[in-house]
Amino acid sequence: MFVIVNGESRPLPEPQTLATLLISLSPQAPFAVAHNEEFVLRRDYGACLISPGDRIDIVHPTAGG
Amino acid sequence: MSELETDDQLVIYGRRFSSRLLLGTARYESPSLLDDVIRAADPAMLTVSLRRQVAGSPDSGQSFWNLLRETERTILPNTAGCLSPDEAIKTACMARELFQTNLIKLEVIGDEVSLQPDPFGLVEAANQLVRLGFQVLPYCTEDWILCRRLMDVGCQVLMPWAAPIGTGQGPRNARALRELRKRAPNTPLIVDAGIGLPSHACQVMEWGFDGVLLNTAVSRADNPVRMAGAFASAIKAGHDAFVAGPMIVQETALPSTPEIGRPFATDRSTRLATTN
Repeated sequence: MFVIVNGESRPLPEPQTLATLLISLSPQAPFAVAHNEEFVLRRDYGACLISPGDRIDIVHPTAGG
Repeated sequence: MSELETDDQLVIYGRRFSSRLLLGTARYESPSLLDDVIRAADPAMLTVSLRRQVAGSPDSGQSFWNLLRETERTILPNTAGCLSPDEAIKTACMARELFQTNLIKLEVIGDEVSLQPDPFGLVEAANQLVRLGFQVLPYCTEDWILCRRLMDVGCQVLMPWAAPIGTGQGPRNARALRELRKRAPNTPLIVDAGIGLPSHACQVMEWGFDGVLLNTAVSRADNPVRMAGAFASAIKAGHDAFVAGPMIVQETALPSTPEIGRPFATDRSTRLATTN
C-alpha cells in the first residue's frame, strides 16, 4: 500500500500501525506525529492503524519567532 | 539576589524571570550566531516552532534542539502560520508533546498580508487550549475588548503587537497600548511583533509593559550580537525608568540650578529699571 508521509507518497507493506511505520521511517528525535491531520499521542502509536492513502505528518523542532 | 530584585521579576504563569526579553530563534544566518545572540540578549524565553524536517536545514531538527537545550532557557513554542482555531489547537498539542511544556504562544492569523491576528479565532482557540491545560500567551492586537475576552477565557498573559510582524515600525497605536496597560494593570503584558529599534522597546517598557518579544529586529541587524545587547540594555533601562517613576512634564521652564546665592546676581528688576 501507499501512504503520504510529509506530503510524499511512500510504499509500505501491509498491515501497519503508526508504531511500526515509525520504526521503518526512523525519524530523528524529537518529533511529533499527526495521522490524517489529527495529533497522535506517543502512547497511542501502537493502536493507531494505518490504511492505504492515509496522511502522516512528522514534525520536528525548528526556529520560530 | 536581594528581596527587591526578587520582587521585580517578570512572572509568566508562576515562572519567574530576571530578564524581560523574549527572543525568537528564526532567521539567523547560522546556529553559532544564534548561540552568540542568546548569550548577548540573556533572554527569559526562546520562541520556537515545529515543522516537517527539511533535509540539511541548520535551524531545525536534532542539532537545533540540542543547541536550545544547552542554553537552558525556557522554551516557548508557537503556532505560527495557523489560520484557524482547529489548526492552532492541533499544532499546540503537537508542540506540547515535542517540547514537553504547557506554554504556548498562540497565533491565529486572520490576514495573510498583514499577519494580523484573527480576534474571533484567537479567543476560540485560547478557550479550548486553556481547558486542555495549556498556559496560553496569545499574540493579539491592542484592542481592549479582545484582550478582555482573552483574559475571561483564562489567559494570564497577553502579547499585543506593536506593529505587523517583521515590519520594525515600532508602536503604531501608542495611545491604545497605553490605555491597555492602564485597563489591565495586573496582567503581564508582553509587546510582541513590530519592534524595530531598542528605542521602541525602551518606550513600551517606560509605559509599564512587562516585557518585549523580538526576533527580526535582532536577526536582521547588520550585527545581531551587538543589537541583542542593545535591546537587552534598552529593555532594562525602560523598565527601570517605569519603576523609578518619571517626572511630570511641565509647561514652563524651571531652572534646575538654584538661583539663590548666584554671584553677580544684582536685583534684576532694579537693573532693568536703571537701564531703561
